[in-house]
Amino acid sequence: MIPGSRWLSESRFQLSRPAVRVILLLSIVLSASAVMLGYSEVGAQHATIERLNALDAEARADAWEGREDWGDIAYNGFHYTFDRPSSLAFAAMGQRDILPWQHRVRMLALEGQIHERDPANPELAHLGQFDFALVVCVLLPLLVIVLMSDIKAAERSAGRDALLIATAGSSHLWRDRALVLALLLGLSLLLPFWVGAVLSDTSFTLTALTTLLVVLYLSFWTWLVLRFALSRATAQVTVLRLVGLWFVFAIAVPLLGRMAILGGMPLPEPGEILMLQREEVNAAWDKPKPVTMDAFVDTHPQWREQSGVTRPFEWKWYYAFQQVGDQQAATLAGQYRAGIVARERMTWWLSLISPPLLLHKALTCLARTDLLASMAYEDSVRDFHRAMRHFYYPLLFNDTPFDKGRLQRHPTFEEAESSCVI
Amino acid sequence: MNPVILSVYREEWRFWRRSRLAGSALLLMAVMLLVSTAYTVTRGHTEADRRLQLQAQARAAFLEQPARHPHRMIHFGHYAFRAPVPLSALDPGIDPYTGMVIFLEGHRQNSAMFAEAAELASLSRFGSLSPAFVLQVLAPLLLVIMGFGSISREREQGTLIQLQASGVAAASLMAGKALALLAVAGLLLLPLGLAGLMLAAFGKASLLAVLAMLLAYGLYLTIWTLAVVTVSAMLRSSAAALAVLLLVWVLGVIALPKLASTLVHSLQPIPGKLETDLALLTDDTPISDGHDTAGAGVSALVAQILERYGAENVSDLPVNIRGLVSSEAEATATARMNQFAEQRMNAEWQQARRLDQLSFLSPLLAMRRVSMSLAGTDLPHQQRFLEEAEALRFDFVQSLNTLHARELRYADDIRRSADPDAEQRTRVDADFWRLLPEFELTPAAINERLAAAGPMAAALLAWGLLALLLCISGTRRLRP
Repeated sequence: MIPGSRWLSESRFQLSRPAVRVILLLSIVLSASAVMLGYSEVGAQHATIERLNALDAEARADAWEGREDWGDIAYNGFHYTFDRPSSLAFAAMGQRDILPWQHRVRMLALEGQIHERDPANPELAHLGQFDFALVVCVLLPLLVIVLMSDIKAAERSAGRDALLIATAGSSHLWRDRALVLALLLGLSLLLPFWVGAVLSDTSFTLTALTTLLVVLYLSFWTWLVLRFALSRATAQVTVLRLVGLWFVFAIAVPLLGRMAILGGMPLPEPGEILMLQREEVNAAWDKPKPVTMDAFVDTHPQWREQSGVTRPFEWKWYYAFQQVGDQQAATLAGQYRAGIVARERMTWWLSLISPPLLLHKALTCLARTDLLASMAYEDSVRDFHRAMRHFYYPLLFNDTPFDKGRLQRHPTFEEAESSCVI
Repeated sequence: MNPVILSVYREEWRFWRRSRLAGSALLLMAVMLLVSTAYTVTRGHTEADRRLQLQAQARAAFLEQPARHPHRMIHFGHYAFRAPVPLSALDPGIDPYTGMVIFLEGHRQNSAMFAEAAELASLSRFGSLSPAFVLQVLAPLLLVIMGFGSISREREQGTLIQLQASGVAAASLMAGKALALLAVAGLLLLPLGLAGLMLAAFGKASLLAVLAMLLAYGLYLTIWTLAVVTVSAMLRSSAAALAVLLLVWVLGVIALPKLASTLVHSLQPIPGKLETDLALLTDDTPISDGHDTAGAGVSALVAQILERYGAENVSDLPVNIRGLVSSEAEATATARMNQFAEQRMNAEWQQARRLDQLSFLSPLLAMRRVSMSLAGTDLPHQQRFLEEAEALRFDFVQSLNTLHARELRYADDIRRSADPDAEQRTRVDADFWRLLPEFELTPAAINERLAAAGPMAAALLAWGLLALLLCISGTRRLRP
């Protein structure tokens, strides 16, 4: 253990070096601006959800005004669904700018609705987001490299290393010095994060877990830099070797991995899902009614008795063929989704050889801003849609007279409750 | 050329040939460039084929529909696919972040669905393997690694003092070193140039766009070259030069561009499509889908039509009032939806402009715009896709409404939900489905693309001038 006085004197010495001061200042500025931007973005998303919730209720009330037919009510009743950003989302904004986190759905075939996108401006998405996760995963290693790789070489080239070791009386001098630098860097990066966590009401567990991950990652790079820096190589060779390693981890592996996954794990053509669903739904207009109703009754046997359709248009038949359209597209849609999930799994394997990717995935998983969180949200929309069908089918099939009071019992969207489980 | 410059140039290359590090860095970059170019060219090609085929398939499906009520076909709808433009092989631009297909139907403007970035979300944040990414982001790193010691090394080895003593001008030394690095940059541009020429010769790419792209990337890499040599000349040690250049690189190509993007998103937010749609619905004059001829807003229209035809009653009209109402409602709704869509597109474009204004933060921001505009993979292209898809939607929906008004009898139309015979009579012949136009999105004309690239090309030039001035001042102050 390093004695406290040594910590202090070493810290004071390091902080007196202009290069160290510049890098620490840069770290604080980067981390603080990332946290600030993340915090304001999360606030904006919460505000959007509140606003749209209010607008949604208003629009639905307008749309239902004067309608007195269950089928008509269902047809015109759009419902807002959303995925609130978590209390850690400010630190890892993840994929929320490219994956949907809000939809407005009604009781028509879901496959025709769930793939709609409400993305951010692609111009901005193309550049990517600046968040705490980026600062830590990608920038931190370079900061460590620049800060520490000349730790020994600089003293050696100045001819002081033998003298220093002799006077300090410890062969752990370099290690201690690196620990002090790592501590200073870690604090500069984590302090803004902790402030953001307090402001965002982030739970202690999440804050501690994130801190632990960052500390582990920082330790990993410090260890790596020390291994290289304590060799006989010059400072620049050390830096180049380390930058090479960083390049492989942070750029080459994700890029080549991405290419391999895109090429090796093809998805079913998504356009086919849409067209299949649409054709199934629309073909029903020309098919004999019993064909549709039989397919419907196969999955909903409780309505067998009431499945007779006598007029050219009846709402129960209309919703039955929407249901059947979803059923027909279910296989392909399931394959598409399974393909995306399989790709996501593969990126976890890939991240085992890329620490920056691993940390990024871990942070976005904790913050529920990753693909799996988006899938959980999609599931919550599917659940809500199913609940709507359960609500309307008895009303439609039993020819229940319209009763405004029953709308009180209309299902409401329930937010996804999910946690980070790989 | 000045023989001193030439010998400095040769000497630098000799040094790189002996250096294992420079060799492996150059090799790694060359491999990534070749792989990425080959990958995007072939992928772009198959992707374009696939989407054109899907487009044809969608139209065929429409034409194959049986005899139906025309309004059914409005809801059957159609699809518009965005096929990649030829030069997206060099710079896919925002393509991966935009949906590739839109469902076109009556009364609604849907969003473009299925974006490539969403299909592999967790890796799309770590860059895309395209020549543009390699040249914009990775090539400057190579220049840093090969050039950080160009002058400082001479200083450390004591050769700088010898060179200056033997009468080598600082300017010749700097020029020779910069030229050697520029040759590396030229090598990096080769795959882009070759692929571009190939696409121009055998594909539909514009040769002018390819040449302009090469020029812009040449300028961009020159900026980095000058910066690298200048920093190497001004700093005491190679280690310090390397540290500074690494920080400049990571800030310039990774941190600041992303910061700019997030900053614009935060300071100049725009409502999403969902919010715009909702605003449209809850607006004072709600839009109607025209399904209902008895609705409150429709009676005035009905009265107007009756007057136009001099008829007492809707059943006396020579045309089907339902088709007319549908058509009128569609036109009104579309005008309103277009107004909102236009506002949104405008706001998106303003964000892009704001991003351009931030290009003083990093030359990458200017380079990116120039490259995307020339390739035709920028925001205006995506917006044109949305506009052309919308034009197609409005076109076929209104053709079907006209059919509805002319070919169907009102008396049948109102009874069709209850009377099977009337229902049969409201179906029009499937031959009519040929009214659906073909759809093919073509990139903007080359002069439009050049004009779009213009302002940021000027910004890039300003960066070049700045780098040149810094380099000259560094040369003047070069001390051993």
